[in-house]
Parts: sequence; structure tokens; C-alpha cells
Amino acid sequence: MHNTADFYHVLRIDQTSNSLREEIKEHCHTDIEMCLECGKCSGGCSNAHIFDITPRKIIQLIKIGEEAKLLKMDALWSCVACQLCVDRCPSSINIPKIMDYMREKAYKQCVPATRPNVELFHELMLGSIKQYGRVAEALMTVQFNIKSKQYTKDAEMGIKMFFKGKLNPLPSRIKNVQQVRRMFRNIPAQREG
Amino acid sequence: MNVAYFPGCSLHGLAKEYGISVEVVCKHLGINLNEIEDWNCCGATAAHSLNHELTISLSARNLAIARDMKMNKVLAPCAGCFSRLKGASYELRNNSVLAAEVGEIIQAEPPVEPEVSNLLQFIMEDQGLNAVAEKTIKPLQGLKLAAYYGCLLTRPKDVVQFDDPEQPISMDLILQAMGADTVVWAHKAECCGGGYAASDTDIVLDLSGQVLESAQQAGADAIVVACPMCGVNLDSRQEAIAAKKGKKYDLPIIYLTQLMGIAFGYSPAQLGLKRLLTSPFPLLQSKGLA
Ligand code: SF4
Ligand code: SF4
Repeated sequence: MHNTADFYHVLRIDQTSNSLREEIKEHCHTDIEMCLECGKCSGGCSNAHIFDITPRKIIQLIKIGEEAKLLKMDALWSCVACQLCVDRCPSSINIPKIMDYMREKAYKQCVPATRPNVELFHELMLGSIKQYGRVAEALMTVQFNIKSKQYTKDAEMGIKMFFKGKLNPLPSRIKNVQQVRRMFRNIPAQREG
Repeated sequence: MNVAYFPGCSLHGLAKEYGISVEVVCKHLGINLNEIEDWNCCGATAAHSLNHELTISLSARNLAIARDMKMNKVLAPCAGCFSRLKGASYELRNNSVLAAEVGEIIQAEPPVEPEVSNLLQFIMEDQGLNAVAEKTIKPLQGLKLAAYYGCLLTRPKDVVQFDDPEQPISMDLILQAMGADTVVWAHKAECCGGGYAASDTDIVLDLSGQVLESAQQAGADAIVVACPMCGVNLDSRQEAIAAKKGKKYDLPIIYLTQLMGIAFGYSPAQLGLKRLLTSPFPLLQSKGLA
């Protein structure tokens, strides 16, 4: 016979940690203690149907300090930042901001992204901004296809876009790109290692 | 009227026809667009996804230039850029610690002054529906349109403070002022998949697919947008979505300013209508508008 204790891991409040909750309060200006567990966030979420952990559960996991689980979750890389959850929340809990905060933290700690292509695309875009001050779409698309090994992805569409005059083959660089690069250098904590 | 103008990367690239038509329409309304000198990319999805200070700083540099140009209003027709600029402005105003940090990063006084508006807000608050109606010489009669707002023109509500976050009506009113009909539909403020267009296309096929489906069910002839991400996703992925669902949509995705241009008497060529992938011409011709 199974021991019921193996099925139900009841968490005692003194076994949980407050530090993540405090951190979120400080950096995201949102107090998850105010969560009513009503589930309106998950109900409205654009992508809850593909999330591994839905918004309401994310708040619960923060409450009990399950940081490692949160840093690894796929929801960080599939949230579309549509702001439906925060606007529907009766307690104004800023879930998109928490998502950004946790993703940034995971990225800085080099926790592998569940969708590496999404992370790669962000990195290439930031690289383009650092280099030119703007996004060099054509160049970035080529870099993305090569680095993500999807060599023919959207090639047909790219050609269509080019003939519609929508894809600039040459990137335009802003005059004071040095100033933008200096900003990148002036940002305090960057990715570790 | 003088405003600072932030076109952003899309209006110079994938959504050139949006940029072209914004300029035509603003000129017609007597608005002087002063492009922010040497503006940089707002950082889009990438910066806010990976680096909070960077995303605020990239917008802060642009806002500081607008301030130095003595502009008290910035018009950002791209909903993505609008969201970044407006969000940065909100945080700089409400978080003095962050504002000081950003001041260090951009090595300038943090800019709190300029107000940031998206296109809908700018038309509603600074021009008014009467101005739109008065300038209309070619009413958009007979067009049944789905006004599509997407996420960022009205959300998050505390930051944007304009229209209803989930049941917005401003674009419907602008279209009606030009004589068009708008449909009642469920997805006017749902997400198209935004910045995942290239990096995780399946998300866009899924979410944009729901938007197309909903507009078709409501009986719309076309979807009207005021955001390049919505425009590009719904237009360029329409074929793939139709193939996946084994259906046909043939829904032109038209920028609001392109329709305003038509109503104000401009020709399709002046408004870049040929650049749209799903041709709007059969529809416009059937109503005597092109
Ligand atoms: S909507 Fe707000 S209060 Fe309700 S479960 Fe979600 S976070 Fe908690
Ligand atoms: S912002 Fe993210 S978590 Fe919130 S509703 Fe949208 S997809 Fe869901």
C-alpha cells in the first residue's frame, strides 16, 4: 500500500523561502501576496494553451520560492507580452514584468532557453542594434537562418518582400552609433561567464 | 501642428507602406512630422526580453533627442515602438532610482517631458473625428471592415491610458467617420504573435490564424491595422495559415492610414497599396475606391 505522504507533499510555510517574493516586489513593483488565486490571468492568457506553467501557477510557485523551476520554464520563451493578464488581474499583479525579470535572470545565469531560436533571435537583434543603432532585417534573417540551421526558412517570402520593396538589402547605420555602443557598455550587470 | 515623429525600423522596412501613408495623411491634416534626428531602434521584443535597463535606455535616448528638439509630443505609429517609448516614459516618471541609473547610461538628463502617442490616440485626441469626416471626399461606402487593435495600442491600461484595453472603439469610430462599416468581432484586441514571426513561426500561425478566422466569421471584407507587426504577420503568414487549415481567407490587411488616404482623395500608388501581399485591389475596385 502507498503511503499517502508520498502522494501529497504538503508544503509547510516555514519550509518555503521568502527571498524570491521580496526580490519580485523590489524589482517588479508588484506584491504577489495580493494574488487572490482567481485564475483570471490564466483564463485570459494568449498562450496559456501552450504554456508548461500557466500564469496563476507561476505566481503560486513564486510564493513558495520554487526559483529553479521558474528559471527553466518554457513559458518564459513563449509569453507574447500581450498584457492581457495584468489588465485583467483584480490585484494588478504585473505578470509580463515578472516574466521579463525571470527571463533576464535565467539568461544572465546561462540557464538554457527551452526555445533556443527565440533566444538566438533576440541576441542577433541586440547585436544589430549595437552595430548599426537599428535593425538590419535582411542581414539578421540570413544570420538567423545560418545559426539556427534552417537554411531555407522563409526564403520564398524574403524574395517576395524584397520585390515589394520591403527588405532593405543594406543596413543603415545611425550617425552617432558610438553613443549607442557606449550605452551597451554602461549597462551594469551583463551575462555571466 | 508640430510633433516629433518616431518611424522606427519597420516603417522604413517591412511596413514601408505604413510609413508612406502616415506621411501623406499627416501632411494632409496639416501636421508637421519632425523625425527624431538620428533615432535608434527601440529595442523591440529583444531588449525587453533580455535586458530591462537597456530597453529603457534605448527609448530614453530617443526621448531625450525629441526633448532637445523642443517637442512636447512624440508620434510613434508602430505599436511596438509606441509601447517601448511610452513604457519607458512611464517608468522614468514614476521610478526615480531607475531614472537616475538611465541618466548615467545615456549620459544625459533623463527625459520625462515629451508625451508619447500612438496613431489612434493622436487622431482621436489631437485631431478629432470631425477633422477626419470633413476631409473625407471619397467615402468608404460599402466596405465592411474589421478594426484590429492587437495588444499594444491599448495595453497595459495603466501605462497607455487610452480607449478600452480589451473592447477598444477608437479605430472603429475613425473608420465610421469615413463612411465605412465595422464589424463586431471577438478578436479585435487579441495578440497576433507579435515578435515571434521569425523566431517561432508556429506561435504566429496559431495566434494570427485565430484572428483571421474570427474576422472572416464576422463577415469582414478586410482587416484594418495600425501596427506593422500585426500587418506583416496577418498579411505575410496568411497563405501558410490558409494552407494549414485547408481554407481560403483572401482578407486584405490594410493600414488605417492607407484607407484614410483613399478617403482623402489620394491614389493607391501614393499610398503604397501595391506593396501589400494580399491584394486589396479587387475589393477596392468593387466599391469604386481604386
Ligand atoms: S489574475 Fe491576479 S489575482 Fe487572479 S490568480 Fe492571476 S495573479 Fe492572482
Ligand atoms: S503577457 Fe504573457 S503571460 Fe500575460 S497573458 Fe500575455 S502571453 Fe500570457
